[in-house]
Amino acid sequence: LYSGWRCVCGCCGALRPRYKRLVDNIFPEDPEDGLVKTNMEKLTFYALSAPEKLDRIGAYLSERLIRDVSRHRYGYVCIAMEALDQLLMACHCQSINLFVESFLKMVAKLLESEKPNLQILGTNSFVKFANIEEDTPSYHRSYDFFVSRFSEMCHSSHDDLDIRTKIRMSGIKGLQGVVRKTVNDELQANIWDPQHMDKIVPSLLFNLQHVEESESRSPSPLQATEKEKESPTELAERCLRELLGRAAYGNIKNAIKPVLIHLDNHSLWEPKIFATCCFRIIMYSIQPQHSHLVIQQLLGHLDANSKSAATVRAGIVEVLSEAAVIAASGSVGPTVLEVFNTLLRQLRLSIDYALTGSYDCGTGVSTKIIKEHEERMFQEAVIKTIGSFASTLPTYQQSEVMVFIMNKVPLPSTQQSIEAGKAGENRNRLTQIMLLKSLLQVSVGFQCSNMLTALPSVFLDRLLSAALMEDAEIRLFVLEILISFIDRHGNRQKFSTISTISDISVLKLKVDKCSRQDTVFMKKHGQQLYRHIYLICKEESNVQAHYEALYSMLMLISIELANEEVMVDLIRLVLAVQEIAQINEDNLTAYNRCALFALGAAYLNLISQLTTVPTFCQHIHEVIQMRQKEAPYLLPEDVFVERPRLSKSLDRLGPEVFFWQSKISEVLGGSGYNSDRLSTPYVPQLTDEDRLSKRKSIGETISLQVEVESRNSPEREQRAPAEEITYETLKKAIVDSVAVEEQERERRRQVVEKFQKAPFEEIAAHCGARATLLQSKLNQIFEITIRPPPSPSGTITAAYGQPQNHSIPVYEMKFPDLCVY
Amino acid sequence: MSMEDYDFLFKIVLIGNAGVGKTCLVRRFTQGLFPPGQGATIGVDFMIKTVEINGEKVKLQIWDTAGQERFRSITQSYYRSANALILTYDITCEESFRCLPEWLREIEQYASNKVITVLVGNKIDLADKREVSQQRAAEFSEAQDMYYLETSAKESDNVEKLFLDLACRLISEARQNTLENNVSSPLPGEGKSISYLTCCNFN
Repeated sequence: LYSGWRCVCGCCGALRPRYKRLVDNIFPEDPEDGLVKTNMEKLTFYALSAPEKLDRIGAYLSERLIRDVSRHRYGYVCIAMEALDQLLMACHCQSINLFVESFLKMVAKLLESEKPNLQILGTNSFVKFANIEEDTPSYHRSYDFFVSRFSEMCHSSHDDLDIRTKIRMSGIKGLQGVVRKTVNDELQANIWDPQHMDKIVPSLLFNLQHVEESESRSPSPLQATEKEKESPTELAERCLRELLGRAAYGNIKNAIKPVLIHLDNHSLWEPKIFATCCFRIIMYSIQPQHSHLVIQQLLGHLDANSKSAATVRAGIVEVLSEAAVIAASGSVGPTVLEVFNTLLRQLRLSIDYALTGSYDCGTGVSTKIIKEHEERMFQEAVIKTIGSFASTLPTYQQSEVMVFIMNKVPLPSTQQSIEAGKAGENRNRLTQIMLLKSLLQVSVGFQCSNMLTALPSVFLDRLLSAALMEDAEIRLFVLEILISFIDRHGNRQKFSTISTISDISVLKLKVDKCSRQDTVFMKKHGQQLYRHIYLICKEESNVQAHYEALYSMLMLISIELANEEVMVDLIRLVLAVQEIAQINEDNLTAYNRCALFALGAAYLNLISQLTTVPTFCQHIHEVIQMRQKEAPYLLPEDVFVERPRLSKSLDRLGPEVFFWQSKISEVLGGSGYNSDRLSTPYVPQLTDEDRLSKRKSIGETISLQVEVESRNSPEREQRAPAEEITYETLKKAIVDSVAVEEQERERRRQVVEKFQKAPFEEIAAHCGARATLLQSKLNQIFEITIRPPPSPSGTITAAYGQPQNHSIPVYEMKFPDLCVY
Repeated sequence: MSMEDYDFLFKIVLIGNAGVGKTCLVRRFTQGLFPPGQGATIGVDFMIKTVEINGEKVKLQIWDTAGQERFRSITQSYYRSANALILTYDITCEESFRCLPEWLREIEQYASNKVITVLVGNKIDLADKREVSQQRAAEFSEAQDMYYLETSAKESDNVEKLFLDLACRLISEARQNTLENNVSSPLPGEGKSISYLTCCNFN
């Protein structure tokens, strides 16, 4: 048939245009012979010398190719394609344009065919074409079909595995070609439009993910190595990297969105290996100045998913943390606090979910069951992420972030953030813990040279007031946070166990001289720190971890921030702590007392070696030796073990097992330390703020109840001894109490006035509204007052304890009104 | 022989739940066979068929999408450029019918607003297992203003008719459009007629 046709052509050959004859001549009689090389050269020469004929050559070639495809003469198809490729390569850039339309038409035709070979042939030509850099833009091309078709090929489900892989690889290469061709050409249909990105990106991801799966299924190592040569996964990865590397600022969003959607749809957040792998590729390949856009998008996605399962959210957060580390300094971008705000919001939401057990969405559809441990994992992931974000920031921003987090911690002193009720309390506690954990995470990566700027007093005040809360866990967090601030030379681990080692050099401490700023810092905040250490020591709920933290903290202050004066103060503080245990006004348990003794011994042991005053060392050494003999339960080696051997006879100890202030001040005074100061015992200055925070942490619901309770609570006794000691404190207390008393009187007057002047109905209505609540409170009060001792004696002992006074009139005023009901 | 091997080119996208027989419909139409034990489509599949209607060559690009939820993102991206959508359900599967509103929402969201939608109830060869009555489907399609047809890919009932009718409607639609404004934009490298070449055609 074919030869017959040729014959017909031959008859009119002379009449046919020259380019047609040249084109016809490149086809051999038998397609097996391949392209007729000499004739191809002639055609190329002709095309180069008469570029205006190129479009016709192209058109004719493509016409022949289309005919051959439909007649299934694949040998000729290949030859036509080869000729076309050669012409493309040979032609100058300017003239390519004339030619491209017919070229693309031919490629499209090949891609439309069902034969894998033709599809691959077409793709290969297209890739060659894509690698030609054109300098003249073209108005007449659009790659819609190619994008669609190549994407489809990426998903090929051909029965034969080999062919399937080949088709998929072709698809990926084709997409790569389209990207190369269009990305820099402003006249082209914008490849970054969502309609294209939505096809390209998922197709690449599909291959990236899919082969991973099949590889893990085929454990045979031989097969794996064979595959490695040409695996769609690698190709897809390379293509994805190239694509992302070319993305400009405005295009990042369109490129990342399909990734997020793909991961959502295929629920790939949960095992998160693939998700992290994807984002690792993304972060490493995009231009670094755009990395914060990715982070922003991830954060946005996290927000959008705030009602998804905890595992999904955890996956996103893990990816975020990975990405943050990769993007390093550029990860956060201009909106630092926004990033942390989002993360903290998620943390809060998660706490809510865990507590309420449902996604409290307005729609009311909360069918998903919330697993508390999954929320827990999510929370941990968020905290970790906060840490990894913060570690990428410069120091000044880190401290900004820490102030920000600290301000979010609900503290008793800021009433608005505290919530009433049992659930609220629980919630507050969890929030406090989570936020402090985040803070700890941030502070671990925090390296500051200047404590004064790193810890502004607003921050320190808030942090320390959290330390006085009853919750032992919170207290520990505060200590840990402080420790990681103070520790700037990585000495912290060396104090992780409390012991009385005889030679300090084994610890290999790294010590710098205390800088001037540090001295100023201690001047400003030293007393505050000591006071809190002192108060924390008095807590009964302390466990070993607390004592270890206290020990580390004391040691770190001594080696990081201490000058002579601070050293003296610390020694006084420790001696005062010893006194707590000795006198035991707070009814501490034997364990607590022994622990305090041991803490003191361990600290003084090290500090004496640091001061290198031989007589001081000697005294400490003597006491320790004495304890080893007489009372080993007062030494850390015996207390801080799994089952400490405690003695009940702590009150009958001889004087030789204690450290004596007079002795220490004597020996240190001899070496030029301020002995006057040393000989005065340390007395913590209690401020109102301390008391306030202490009381409020119980969870104030209504003033009546708290007042009644606080009369019986142990903390009253705790407060008492502290107040009676020096002239200074007495004076302060008096001045304070006068002012407060005045305030109190004013308030009282207002309350009384209100109830006296207001019409009865108003008072009744006011009380009626709270009648039921009040009724229950009253019942409680009755129960308490009926039992003889606490109430009256409480009011009397608190003669100038201000708050109690006002509770009585309010109580009395309300009571008759209530009798109406 | 004309340079163009077609007068019209339309993109048709098949959508519907997994396992309703989308791939079989396409195979039946393009290749005339019914592949037993057809596996689930991965992502998207592509077929082409040129038909002649009233002497005009109509090339149908048929994109067969995966019904599985996890491929939704890639399949959605194909709706946008479609001229026609064939929304398929299985008459022996109530569930696939009940999902139709969901699919319509997707169409609303992702497809162009000029798209023609055809509702197809497949597998009428399994009449004894029918769960969705013809009347119900007809009412539904009427309410949604869709063309409705029942087919069997296995017995080749109505398959030709489905695609040919669709092609006819697409042609008339395209004609209308070209009259209004030259909207029916041709495809890359294909639709553009290179008119200055026509004089040089042999024959």
